[in-house]
Amino acid sequence: MSGLLLMAPALLLLLAVFVWPLLDYAWLSLQAQSVFTGLEQVPVGTLNWQRLLADGRFWQDAWQTLRFAVVSVALELVAGLAIALLLHQRWRGRGVARSLALLPWALPTTVMALGWRWIFNDPYGPINGLLQLLGLATVPFLAAPELAWLATVVADVWKTTPFVALLLLAGLQMIPHDLYEAFALEGGTPWQGLWRITVPLLRPYIFIVLLFRLAQALGVFDLIAVLTGGGPASSTESLAVYAYLNAMRFLDFGYSATVMLGMFLLLLAGAAALLLWRRHTEVRA
Amino acid sequence: MRVSTRAGLVALLLLWSLGPMLWQLYTSLRTPEALLASAGGLGGGWTLANYGAVLSGDPPFWRYLLNSTVVGALSTLLTLALAIPCAYALSRRGGLLRLLVGGGLLAAAVFPYVLLFLALLQVARQLGLANNLLALCLPYAGLQLPLAVLLLQAAFAELPPELEESALLEGFSLWQRLRWILLPLMGPAVVSTGLLVFLFSWNEFPIALTWISRSELLTLAPAMARIAGSSVYTVPYGAFAAATVLGSVPLLALLLLFQRQIVAGLTQGAIKG
Amino acid sequence: MRGRLAAIGLGLTLALAIGLLSWAWARPAAVVRVLMPAPFADATADLVAAFNGRHRDVRIAVTRGPFETDAVSDLAISSLLLGDSPYDLLLMDVTWTAKYAAAGWLQPLDPWLGAEALEPLVSGARAGNRIDGRLYRLPLVADMGLLYWRTDLMEAPPRTPDELVAISRRLQEQGRVRWGYVWQGRQYEGLSCVFLELIAGFGGHWGPTAQASGEQGFGLAGPAAARAAGWLQQLVREGISPQAVANFAEPEALQSFEAGEAAFLRNWPYAWQELQREGSAVAGKVGIATMVAEPGEPHAATQGSWGFSLLTGTPHPEAAVQVLQALTGDASQRQLVTRYGYTPTLTALFDDPELVAERPLLPQLRQALEQAVLRPLNPGYAQLSDILQRQLSALITGRGDPALAMARAGRESDLLLRASGQGLAPRPQEVSP
Repeated sequence: MSGLLLMAPALLLLLAVFVWPLLDYAWLSLQAQSVFTGLEQVPVGTLNWQRLLADGRFWQDAWQTLRFAVVSVALELVAGLAIALLLHQRWRGRGVARSLALLPWALPTTVMALGWRWIFNDPYGPINGLLQLLGLATVPFLAAPELAWLATVVADVWKTTPFVALLLLAGLQMIPHDLYEAFALEGGTPWQGLWRITVPLLRPYIFIVLLFRLAQALGVFDLIAVLTGGGPASSTESLAVYAYLNAMRFLDFGYSATVMLGMFLLLLAGAAALLLWRRHTEVRA
Repeated sequence: MRVSTRAGLVALLLLWSLGPMLWQLYTSLRTPEALLASAGGLGGGWTLANYGAVLSGDPPFWRYLLNSTVVGALSTLLTLALAIPCAYALSRRGGLLRLLVGGGLLAAAVFPYVLLFLALLQVARQLGLANNLLALCLPYAGLQLPLAVLLLQAAFAELPPELEESALLEGFSLWQRLRWILLPLMGPAVVSTGLLVFLFSWNEFPIALTWISRSELLTLAPAMARIAGSSVYTVPYGAFAAATVLGSVPLLALLLLFQRQIVAGLTQGAIKG
Repeated sequence: MRGRLAAIGLGLTLALAIGLLSWAWARPAAVVRVLMPAPFADATADLVAAFNGRHRDVRIAVTRGPFETDAVSDLAISSLLLGDSPYDLLLMDVTWTAKYAAAGWLQPLDPWLGAEALEPLVSGARAGNRIDGRLYRLPLVADMGLLYWRTDLMEAPPRTPDELVAISRRLQEQGRVRWGYVWQGRQYEGLSCVFLELIAGFGGHWGPTAQASGEQGFGLAGPAAARAAGWLQQLVREGISPQAVANFAEPEALQSFEAGEAAFLRNWPYAWQELQREGSAVAGKVGIATMVAEPGEPHAATQGSWGFSLLTGTPHPEAAVQVLQALTGDASQRQLVTRYGYTPTLTALFDDPELVAERPLLPQLRQALEQAVLRPLNPGYAQLSDILQRQLSALITGRGDPALAMARAGRESDLLLRASGQGLAPRPQEVSP
């Protein structure tokens, strides 16, 4: 009994912060609460949901968010694994290099998003400066819809790869070294070893990384809000940014709640798919 | 791997990780004219004026750092105060409850919390919690509880049960057992958990953005966004970069001092979570 | 006897004077806090300093907001939502007024300024300040869409869409210009402004239709919308406008026209000065006109303007109104016109021969302003505009049938208005001063 008492304050705060909002959104998504209603709640049935299904911007943002998350996380996984392998080897200065490499992850996203805006600046940023030195034309990284989302991917990969690398490094340290020696004795090359030993044994860690990173990347907000503001022509807008705009710029709380709940349902579907995939691969392995 | 190859790869890694930061440092020390004149030209145009401008702004930049530090420290204390008893109780229970609570905590730890901002904003409006740094610690503690409880619970579970049993025999109360027997052994786990919570609160953006509107109360993350939004056509990037550097220095120091604990906390999370 | 009276009189006067002085001295000046976008904060800095020099009891404190229009609004809203506004006056874009008024954040100005507050304004500048019959905003400067044309390539500007296409085609075939017409085709607010002028020119109207049933597609379901959108699509498809126009905002369109690449440009008055500057390929060869329209339909100009609104939470509305009147007054606008090239809103300034001598464009700007049309005065305007831009952008980049796309935009607009509760609840109570 005293155990429950010890847990009660934390659980109550958790319920207030995580569960109540979702219940609130479920209620709010059936109401109109906007400037039209003087910010009071008026029941409108399923109109918000009908609007969501017909809302081109919601689906465009859903696609853009998914594209951002999948591409970023895939690149982070590859780069993170490479860095983890490098840091796993023994060499002098490894500890210092590890902390320095971790710096991008520790910084507030908004701080370096501002930094990246300068790096991608056309024409004064360093990348375009370099292009000009080489006699090439400058590239409007943040002004062209087909490039701006890639710029957001680069900034995200830069920031979160250290996190991925650290988790995978922890996994690498769990793999007994004899495995590789035995494999080498049988004539396997290091490259084959990577695919036959490292990756399969890292699978639980890769799963954790995918879970954390995909969830975070699908909820991307800070980076987009500061780096591009969702532009140009909302080509980098994520669902979280759209929900934010609906509430804070359009003053349409009912619909903002609907967008967030819609996004939550999409996330649930994604999580279910990921769990099924894990079960599937575990059965095979 | 050959040593020279490895040295090359390490150099590449550091260039990738630190290059953007170093470019900010470089930008922050140049005059606007030097920045616009020609990219990469190093001759002339060095200045500290950008730092002067940022530090003498209204409010001065150190104010944001101070606000973030206050919020970070208080949120960390509050989170630990709530998480430690909860984690202890959870680690001493078995069965369905632990599985359920544990699963819920993991889901909450992974949840993209930005989705919660609207409901939390309504709480702030209705309870008058807006523009209050102390009140901001409440959602922060709530948001970081899942990770904190998971990490601490795993650490509690690792302590040998005999320790507590012998203390129990000697008539120690629950509080005494926690305070004198268990917590001293939990030091490293508490420190690394606290550091992660502090980092989160220091960096948090969407909740601070919606709960704080008065500029003298802004924490670092929304302050940076407001600085970014305040000028688009002019190019005061020297001042932006100075703000970036000033905003990064405290974290760089924290990272260098506590690198081991932060890494331990992160990897614990992966292994135990 | 007389001496004594005089002494008493002098004494009373002195006492009164001292009393008044000390009262005035002790009363702290009311500080009126004004949020403006950065360019306006800079342009009005002298005016504000002069006001503060003249007045002892009222001081203006300007907050220099962001450059970007939306960012200024975000800043204001984040404070207002939390019920804690640090401002008394807000300089607002014409499209925000309905939203702010519906949220209950603005005080009606009629009780302070009287029913004739808008009388001194030219007619085109009067629109967009009243919501439901109440005055919520007093304009500072006006802005309107114009058709720029090349005086060296033609005798007179085209007046109908067909003429514009015919002249363009001829000049392009003769190789005298690369493009006929450049305008704002990027998916952003500028595209809605372009469309607004055309839908009027094709005999339509973007906004709630006459039948109040709410199922009318917000004016987009009719033939005028389809023809206006179809014309824009045709311009790109037939090469009158470059395909790149789909990514043009004002600066890109201006750049192309300034380089002599195009015969026509749609832009705001500010472009005039830019086109006349040294290095411009078209300096001295540019005329302005209103937008083309079908015979018998209006040559419309999208109205854009900035004006001051009084926020509900202000502790000293009287002082705030005093500031509002001073900043929008004759002397203030005159300075904005002569020194910064803004377009005034007061009839007196358009009629002033001295000012016209200095800025010869004023009569033509006034003509265009008489033709001003408003974007829908609706609290959900930003979303309605987004729905429209989305469909137009898809059409311009080559996909789809104009009639179907506009009908879809109309349906989405209806759904938006119903779902967000238009007409479901009474407007918030106005606060009387």
